[in-house]
Amino acid sequence: MADSTILSLVLYLPVAGMLAIAAFPPGRDGLVRTFTLAVMVAQFLLSILLYVHFDPAVPGLQAATRLPWIPSWGVAYIIGLDGYNILLVLLTTFLGPLVTAGAFSAITKQVKLFYAMVFLIQFAMLGTFVAQDLFLFYLFWEAMLIPMFLIIGIWGGERRIYATVKFFLYTAFGSIMMLAAVIYLVWSLWSTTGITSFAFADLYKARLPLDAQQWLLAAFALSFAIKVPMVPFHTWLPDAHVEAPTAGSVILAGVLLKMGTYGFMKLGFPLFPDATQLATPFLAILSVVSIVYGACLALVQTDIKKIIAYSSISHLGYVMLGLLSVDLLGIQGAIVQMVSHGLVAAGLFLMVGMIYERCHTRELAAYGGLAKVLPVYSVFFLILTLASVGLPTTSGFTGEFLVLMGAFNAAWRHTAGIPVWVAGVAVSGVVLGALYMLWFAQRFLFGAERVPHGPVVDLNLREKSILAILLVAVFWLGLFPDSAMKRTELAAREYQELVSAPRTPLATKLTGSLPAEAAR
Amino acid sequence: MNFTAVSIAMAPEHLLLAGIVALLILDVVSGRARAALPLAVAFVAAAAIAAAWLGFTGWTGAPFPGQFVLTPPAAFAKAIMLALAVPVILFSKDDFGEGEFYPLVLSSLYGVCLLASAESFLTLFLGIELMSIPVYVLVLLGYRRPESAEAALKYLVLSGTASASFLMGASLMYGSTGSLGLASFGTALSSPDLLARTAVVMVVAAFFLKAAIVPFHGWAPDAYEAASVPSTAYMAVLVKAGVLVAAARVFGTAHVAEPLVGLLAILPLVSIVWGNLTAMRQPGLRRMIAYSSIAHAGYLFFAFLGDGPGRFQAVVFYLAAYGVMNVLAFAALPSNPVDVERDKLENLKGLSHTHPFAALLIGIAMLSLAGIPPFPGFIAKFLIFKNVMAAGYTTWAVLGLVGSYIGIYFYLRVIQFMYMSPAAAATGRAPSRGIAMGASLLCLAGSIVIALLPALFLDRL
Repeated sequence: MADSTILSLVLYLPVAGMLAIAAFPPGRDGLVRTFTLAVMVAQFLLSILLYVHFDPAVPGLQAATRLPWIPSWGVAYIIGLDGYNILLVLLTTFLGPLVTAGAFSAITKQVKLFYAMVFLIQFAMLGTFVAQDLFLFYLFWEAMLIPMFLIIGIWGGERRIYATVKFFLYTAFGSIMMLAAVIYLVWSLWSTTGITSFAFADLYKARLPLDAQQWLLAAFALSFAIKVPMVPFHTWLPDAHVEAPTAGSVILAGVLLKMGTYGFMKLGFPLFPDATQLATPFLAILSVVSIVYGACLALVQTDIKKIIAYSSISHLGYVMLGLLSVDLLGIQGAIVQMVSHGLVAAGLFLMVGMIYERCHTRELAAYGGLAKVLPVYSVFFLILTLASVGLPTTSGFTGEFLVLMGAFNAAWRHTAGIPVWVAGVAVSGVVLGALYMLWFAQRFLFGAERVPHGPVVDLNLREKSILAILLVAVFWLGLFPDSAMKRTELAAREYQELVSAPRTPLATKLTGSLPAEAAR
Repeated sequence: MNFTAVSIAMAPEHLLLAGIVALLILDVVSGRARAALPLAVAFVAAAAIAAAWLGFTGWTGAPFPGQFVLTPPAAFAKAIMLALAVPVILFSKDDFGEGEFYPLVLSSLYGVCLLASAESFLTLFLGIELMSIPVYVLVLLGYRRPESAEAALKYLVLSGTASASFLMGASLMYGSTGSLGLASFGTALSSPDLLARTAVVMVVAAFFLKAAIVPFHGWAPDAYEAASVPSTAYMAVLVKAGVLVAAARVFGTAHVAEPLVGLLAILPLVSIVWGNLTAMRQPGLRRMIAYSSIAHAGYLFFAFLGDGPGRFQAVVFYLAAYGVMNVLAFAALPSNPVDVERDKLENLKGLSHTHPFAALLIGIAMLSLAGIPPFPGFIAKFLIFKNVMAAGYTTWAVLGLVGSYIGIYFYLRVIQFMYMSPAAAATGRAPSRGIAMGASLLCLAGSIVIALLPALFLDRL
């Protein structure tokens, strides 16, 4: 089987799964669960094949499919793998079975609809990663909103409707701005080069005047920054996380938040290099503010889910810093950090879900001394905590370390416009991270024994397997990052070239007068 | 006048006329009008197929030169509008067992078809009136409450005002350019003559009134609410389509010059914002759709800012996407013996538990109307704003997009009611009829085709 066929199979398996679920007789919830898990596992195994087949020495797209779609607009259906998305695709398919298995006992109403939505969001997320055409990317990007809106709104907590509408409206506002920018970008490409195309490869060739670049970068950045989320666009995240069911939080933290940073990496920065160079100091400061402010907020939360939600804001600040450094180590570190955060935050949210199912509260003050009552749970929790803090040998270390190396490298040598003090303050995030996570673990696992709602049982086999599989990935990325980094290296170099290559901005401003064909 | 040209080029119109005659005869001959529905559907579907066939064969010609002209895009526009009428007629069965509904709809459709081919202000006026007059009756035909009469009268008076304004504009145009051909509008657009300017403004005002653009929108919510569901769907989809296609015919490929740009951008923009804001507060589906259609009329008039050649394509494609979704929403609405109850958004609460399929379809329709990808409404909106931006009106395009963002909330609210609220108290919701289900499946199929293969339509319009 050709790789392109496998990629299409991986992408469309969830759609097939969703349609199949619709045909299941009502009331067979167990069957629906098993079926979903089987499809997700099959999808993961196929994507491993893609990962193994991926040739790190070949630049550009692999396993690509190109079909014309709306020829008169220059819209084509192009999907493919490259160094930018290979790890994120693998992360998405890896988390799929874990999310499914993790929801077995938590989701008991409207089970069919739930797993249909999980399939749908899986499809949309994979599509966003593999799309190589801006129109297609936008379709998938927006399509992610709908299943998430329903997952939070139907199976969420008490204030779920407030949280889900807030989530939708926040993200949709960014998307509308991005849509305007997309249209403008494609039209300017047409008017300067005569090419009508939405393909990323063609769009990289657009040479826009600086003022246009600034507006477009602002529009794209708004959309992506809301998704990441960067301070000050982060206020939807804690609400969404707290109200979402465990599976929703895991998808949100595991994959959805990476959409923002992936967007910056694949589109925002490479498309508008001159504007990016100008905005780097500002964006770097915002990233560091996200790192420190997120950590400070995590420190004072009383709700377990909120601690992890705010820690996500902090961790994704590193990703942004790595991308802004335009340093080879920094970029690769950013990609590894994305995957690492996806694994660790997903694991932590799964574990919060497990304890919530037993004790029905997320108040940190209600817990204490779990290590004595739930030893297995506590061991897993402690390892994930340490991974989140960035203990060497875990994936968190690889990511953060590389990002900070990259940031300092760029700052000392003045290659990217990151002030040295910004890189310095970013390091304090590591300390703060250790502070809030370890303090959290200490209050949660140790001290006087407090278990709300009576005696509880420790993790069952299903839960243990989920977490064990997750930890394998965490340590694999921490101990042997080489296999992953080999595959991202060429993409990182390409990104470096696109962002830092001096381009000669056009002297002429674009005008509104176009021949008639432009309108068609 | 050439006999073959008249008989072939006007085949869709002839079929509609034959349908009207057949329905009237049926009404006289047999007291029970059970055959009326299949007959009406058959004739409209045949007319749609004839129009599509004319389009595919590329038939071009003017059976009545200077009055009626047929080009492939016009033929496809007719095919799309006639095809949209089929599900509307299908799901009218619950509300209109009697026979009057069908001949009225068919004659209104005749007017819609005339509009797509009109070449002079005379034919255009004929088309507009032929389309509108049966609709006044349709509003009243759903007479279930006293407000219906009031709303029908309001609609009659305001629509009459629009016709008067249109006639006045046309006669001024004749005075200024010496021609009643639609091409004279293009001449008047670029003319510095005050007479011509006044004529343009009066014609545009007439279209704004008929399409319910703020501040000429007052009649729409009342009329939409008063009419029974199929009539509302007909008004929201086909009357709006007819008016916009007529406007696209009038504007043709003429370049819109500066002072008129303001008029063409500001009022539609206000419509988008006001329609979307007001829709949030509506307790009933029909009033909500009325305000939503006011906003959609705003997007549609934005298409006129775009450059000439792409205008007709953008308008018709938008109408297809918007129409199929509106019909879908109405067709999937569960029927209820009490008309007022059927309309209430409150009663949609928990619909996903009681009628999962209907809830899914209404949900899809709402997301598409909100312009959320990957549904057809997004592709249509994209096309319009692409054209506006390509014409250089970046600021207007951005403002329009922001206006469309405001609309997302009330569409989501419907989904929230259906999926996230506990089921409403027993309201006597009747199970959906098979025929309404068929109508909604037809719309669903249409929307899937539009979403997956938009090029199929775009290349032919």
